Amino acid sequence: MPILPQPLATILENPEAHIGGTDVTLDLNLGRAFLNKVLAARPADTPVEELLLDPEAGNLVNLHLQVQAPVIGNVRRRITLQPGPAVSFPDQPWLQFNITAGFKLLDKPIIKLMQSQIADKLPKGVELTSDHLRLHVPALLTSAGYQKLVPLIKELQLTSEANRLVIRLWVVA
Amino acid sequence: MHPVQKHLFDTNFKDLAGSKLEGTIAISEELINMGIMDFLNGLKPGPEFDAPEKPSPAPAAAPDMPDPKKLLALLNIDMLTFRTGKGKVMLNVKVSLQD
Repeated sequence: MPILPQPLATILENPEAHIGGTDVTLDLNLGRAFLNKVLAARPADTPVEELLLDPEAGNLVNLHLQVQAPVIGNVRRRITLQPGPAVSFPDQPWLQFNITAGFKLLDKPIIKLMQSQIADKLPKGVELTSDHLRLHVPALLTSAGYQKLVPLIKELQLTSEANRLVIRLWVVA
Repeated sequence: MHPVQKHLFDTNFKDLAGSKLEGTIAISEELINMGIMDFLNGLKPGPEFDAPEKPSPAPAAAPDMPDPKKLLALLNIDMLTFRTGKGKVMLNVKVSLQD
């Protein structure tokens, strides 16, 4: 559990007592430069040499990836992701991105490499195949110490516009 | 300062432009009192205040922190009302960052 500011820790102890009655929607726009600053701040000890996001209009996100993979060596790929439906609890806990283009027929070593990185470095709840990337939001929040926030999230959706991602978060406590 | 935070400050929050917050935020009295205490504790001088070698006390805000007036100028506040009830403060808000 991370060290939290006292007010936030108090909310997490008993959300109903401290923020019960809240019903708020946040539409958070994240510009391309900001997203790529976040990606650039990843740990240095990964075989991913380049990782850039390029959100497009029409709900498509391009992920530019350069990795040093076994067998096939240093490769670059542009993976196109399409964000899926909204997360809502308890029925739809997965935040899913369909991979609509990018991985080639012989790219199994890249996918295996990324799967091993995910298994080694990320908490359980991140799943990558050649068809999709999906995040189990309750599992990830729980592993970060925010389990009590899970039932408060009525809707979490990610969509793409030209040069920015939009995260919609609807919280009811 | 974290490079992501520095980027936001340096670009005057341009990468979050158009973000919106709308609805009701309920906050318990206990939480408000805790926030007041946190704020007051933050105003107290830190241990470096008494150090004789320092040429002058630290300023109230770090020089690379954004100017609160400039931050406020970025906000469109369509609604901000306040009411109390059942041990809580309720804020009805509709605000956005200029697009």
